[in-house]
Amino acid sequence: MTVVETLLVYVGIPLAIVLVMALLTMRPGKGQKKLRYKPGQSWDHEPVWYEPHPGGAGAHGGGHGGGHGAHALTAGAPASARPYGGARGTW
Amino acid sequence: MTRALEATSHDTATSAGTMPTRTDEAQAPDTIFSYQELLRLDDALTLSSRETGLRFTLYLGDLGTRTRVRAEELFEQSGGHLPESVLLAISPGQRVIEVVVGAAASRRLPDRACALAVLSMTNAFASGDLVGGIVNGLRQLSDQAGHPRSLRPTH
Repeated sequence: MTVVETLLVYVGIPLAIVLVMALLTMRPGKGQKKLRYKPGQSWDHEPVWYEPHPGGAGAHGGGHGGGHGAHALTAGAPASARPYGGARGTW
Repeated sequence: MTRALEATSHDTATSAGTMPTRTDEAQAPDTIFSYQELLRLDDALTLSSRETGLRFTLYLGDLGTRTRVRAEELFEQSGGHLPESVLLAISPGQRVIEVVVGAAASRRLPDRACALAVLSMTNAFASGDLVGGIVNGLRQLSDQAGHPRSLRPTH
């Protein structure tokens, strides 16, 4: 009887604790919720384009006459936006 | 996107124009980000555009083999007033980011400032933080571009 009790206390209880912990950590369905980008993985989503809200954003949303004076200087040719600036980077 | 939606369609009895149900939205292939992340992106884009008077747009997707040419094509399709627009084109699959700045905007956002913002963005992307990098890069760009006097409320 004492052997069974010893086995229960020293083997059964640690096993039960380990099982509970394993169930808590390796619960299925928890990892699917968080899809996180990892560098190097392929990107098979559709292209998305995010724009700012039109209200008050951009040069045209303001409706301010003084601000548009600069456009008259540069908007003579349709390709006035052409000398593009910018930068590129890789990771 | 439409093809995938049709494949997992939860149609009701109506024949045409069914709105996607909640389960469809959860499984839609273009849900890259969670709602909180989308909100952060939206706020960053809107606030930086409102503060600087420039029009910041963000493209996430493939850029082909000639990334710079493709980014400039996209920039020309972006609508709005092109000389005062800024496009952040990010292709996570190719690990490339291209920033295209219109002519008038590049006077306030010189290439060096864009390169600095791109550097901080690529740092964040390399550790897997897409949204954080975009938000911080937008903040840097809008800080650099500043707040023009014509947009200030007190005249």
